[in-house]
Amino acid sequence: MKRNSLFLLLAGVALLVAVPWLLSQGLVNAAIQMLIAALFACAYNLLCGQGGMLSFGHAAYFGVGAFATVHAMNALGGTGLLPTPLLPLAGAVGGLCFGTVAGYFATKRSGTYFAMITLAIAELVHSLAPHLKDVFGGEAGVSSTRMPAWGLGFGSTNEVYYLTLAWVLVSLAALFLFTRTPLGRLVLGLRENAHRLRFLGYDTHRLSVIVFAVSAMFSGLAGGLQVMNNESANYAVFDPSLSAAVVLNTYIGGVKVFLGPALGAALMTFFGYAVSDLTQSWLLYQGTLFVLVMMFMPTGLAGLFGLFGQLRRRFGLAALMPLVLLSLGAALALSMGGAFVIETLQRVFSQDYRALAAAQGSAAWPPITLVGRAWSPTAPGTWLVPAGLLAVGACLAWLARWRLRTLESQERTPEATAATATSPDTQRSAA
Amino acid sequence: MNKPPFAACAIGLSLGLAAGAACAAPIKIAVIESLSGPQAATGLIYRNAARYGVEKINAAGGWNGEPLQLVEYDNQGGPTGAADKLKAAIADGVQMVVQGASSAIAGQITDDIRKHNMRNPGKELVFFNMGAEAQELTGDKCQFYHFRFAANSQVRTKTLVLAMKQANVLGTRVYSINQNYSWGQDMEKAIVENAGLGGYTVVEKTLHDVNKIQDFAPYVAKISAAKADSVLTGNWSNDLLLLMKAAKSAGLTTRFGTVYLDQPGNLANAGDLAVGHYVAQTFNAEAGGAAADEFVADYKAKTGHVPVFVEAHTAFGLAMVGDALKRVKPENGALNVKTFAAALETTKIKTPMGELSMRAADHQALLPIVVSSVTKDAKAKVDGTDMGFKPARLFTADEAAAPAQASCRMQRPS
Repeated sequence: MKRNSLFLLLAGVALLVAVPWLLSQGLVNAAIQMLIAALFACAYNLLCGQGGMLSFGHAAYFGVGAFATVHAMNALGGTGLLPTPLLPLAGAVGGLCFGTVAGYFATKRSGTYFAMITLAIAELVHSLAPHLKDVFGGEAGVSSTRMPAWGLGFGSTNEVYYLTLAWVLVSLAALFLFTRTPLGRLVLGLRENAHRLRFLGYDTHRLSVIVFAVSAMFSGLAGGLQVMNNESANYAVFDPSLSAAVVLNTYIGGVKVFLGPALGAALMTFFGYAVSDLTQSWLLYQGTLFVLVMMFMPTGLAGLFGLFGQLRRRFGLAALMPLVLLSLGAALALSMGGAFVIETLQRVFSQDYRALAAAQGSAAWPPITLVGRAWSPTAPGTWLVPAGLLAVGACLAWLARWRLRTLESQERTPEATAATATSPDTQRSAA
Repeated sequence: MNKPPFAACAIGLSLGLAAGAACAAPIKIAVIESLSGPQAATGLIYRNAARYGVEKINAAGGWNGEPLQLVEYDNQGGPTGAADKLKAAIADGVQMVVQGASSAIAGQITDDIRKHNMRNPGKELVFFNMGAEAQELTGDKCQFYHFRFAANSQVRTKTLVLAMKQANVLGTRVYSINQNYSWGQDMEKAIVENAGLGGYTVVEKTLHDVNKIQDFAPYVAKISAAKADSVLTGNWSNDLLLLMKAAKSAGLTTRFGTVYLDQPGNLANAGDLAVGHYVAQTFNAEAGGAAADEFVADYKAKTGHVPVFVEAHTAFGLAMVGDALKRVKPENGALNVKTFAAALETTKIKTPMGELSMRAADHQALLPIVVSSVTKDAKAKVDGTDMGFKPARLFTADEAAAPAQASCRMQRPS
């Protein structure tokens, strides 16, 4: 198992290294964004998933890191002590310093109060930034240029991709190794039972501040990487929507698995990149996905893999395949039906369509184009398609559930007898 | 398949070969706007106008015998998303970018394009800024490939002051209240600088938080205590509406001079209390006569609604682009953006509002401004209310112009 995971990890890294050869320039740039979001989510998860401290204002540390980097970039010009490839360190230092101060106050309380304090600190920076034009550059932002260093020009997207990849891999490795240290183990204790930790003689406040600061440091590093990519920073990074996005990404990915948040962040970033040009309702889909994940898969997308592995061990791959296929089919049909309804309604209620309908004068509802076909909103056939898809999806979901029940009952009958024969209780009573 | 050369071209281009240079490539023009989320309303206005403008260029024959291709990108509401989508647009072969709804996003795009052009000579892009009015964009950040077709705080304030003075509603005591960020600070500066021109003294200056204040009563009390004759403000959206509402409910009769009162929905929201207030705008059909009526009718026929807010000047901006394109010959079948930008610098066209030209020094369009007041006897009613904007004075581009900023040191490509 251990060798398997190592192999998977190496394969993943090799795939990431090969990205510029496999994908177009536009997608390489999307990959940079995905890597940055993944690092930010993992840094956030150290605090939220491992430390059990739900912060609602992580954009503040990301943004401080971003501005620290852009100012370092302008001041040093990519030479001297901090050549271009090392500039994200400025972001890390910025995040660390600000995180230590903010964390000192925030971690004085826990639970809801902690969340409120982080929210307040983020909002403080968010409302302060537009007023300080010298530091945050006003509405047009602070811009900078990546200077050549170490024989590299840093002009092309590929060079920026490798720079980002290197930093993200090193940071993720550091974050992972941190969880393996005694300090990292204590962080889990902080989440599970902080009282007990205190009675054991640990200084929980200092511990919380350290976790907070480390999380802020890597968030700042992610902010610095974003500046490296965009060559500018704008006070818009302090927007609460960024704090919200990292919470959503982390939970969609799954807080219990180390790479879960990275997976969620990468997927959601790509989703935004790919879908935002196709439909105006992509934010609605994103929100719906979050609600569905929270309702039906509290362990997140990463939890799915765990669940699959667990079921495979219980029932075997062959018996599981129909269940997997049924579930995939149900998900596909339900999402297609849902997307069809949302897209049709969105087009019918859009300003363009109403203008078009008004231009045609009569009560006619002009057809709308969707997936390369014209559909009339008043024809029953149009609505039968999504209704059919939803019905098929519901059927498949029901079948999948039935299949799971059958598997479970089949398992119980033979295993129940086996269990009675070998369970320690029976042995003891026999002895 | 009936156009084999183009098919060959497309294959060549998609393989990234140099064949692209030898075939006629249609110009791709990208709209990078906020098309979803809270800022979508403004973004969609710019997109509609851009669609109209490109359609007009294509109706006139496009360029080099081919229509311009309009591609739309959603910048997801922020500069980071815009930077991403700009890179995607560059990868898709876009040569022209249109944006306008936010100065933050425009700042990002103009910088990114400047750096891209510096690093990729021969593959330049040009940026048409249709509404980002931050002074830096034609000041500190001015660059050869950025063109602003919108007004700015200097032009708007100057015309507003002159027209209100002429209509005898300005008085000698002016209160300046603005939002505390770069735009509001620009407006405050402009209001102070125009004091001599308008013959007033600024009795007090206030900068307040942006879109956070729910109750403007304390500010209205200050205005009232300062015995101001009129209030000049660059506020937009809720900050403008709530300020005017608070003034009305405190019984304050001070007149407001604004620059964004013509945003869609403002009059419907403000109701009768907007009557008598002034606005400096870039288009008012009533001031333009028959030519303007014709433009409005054509716009309505194409898009389904009359042009509001920034739509008219965005359409005029693209008309300038179309005019400049006419004077640029293809080089190896493709557009040389450097030559095109040089042609756009000297473009001068007639619009229903008057002559519109581009100032080469800082790439700020010199555009006519009309100052209007809200009345019930305006010809065109707005937002389904019984009110509309009645022109008080139409300024020609020369009368409205403010000098180029000294901070603009434009690097021209040799």
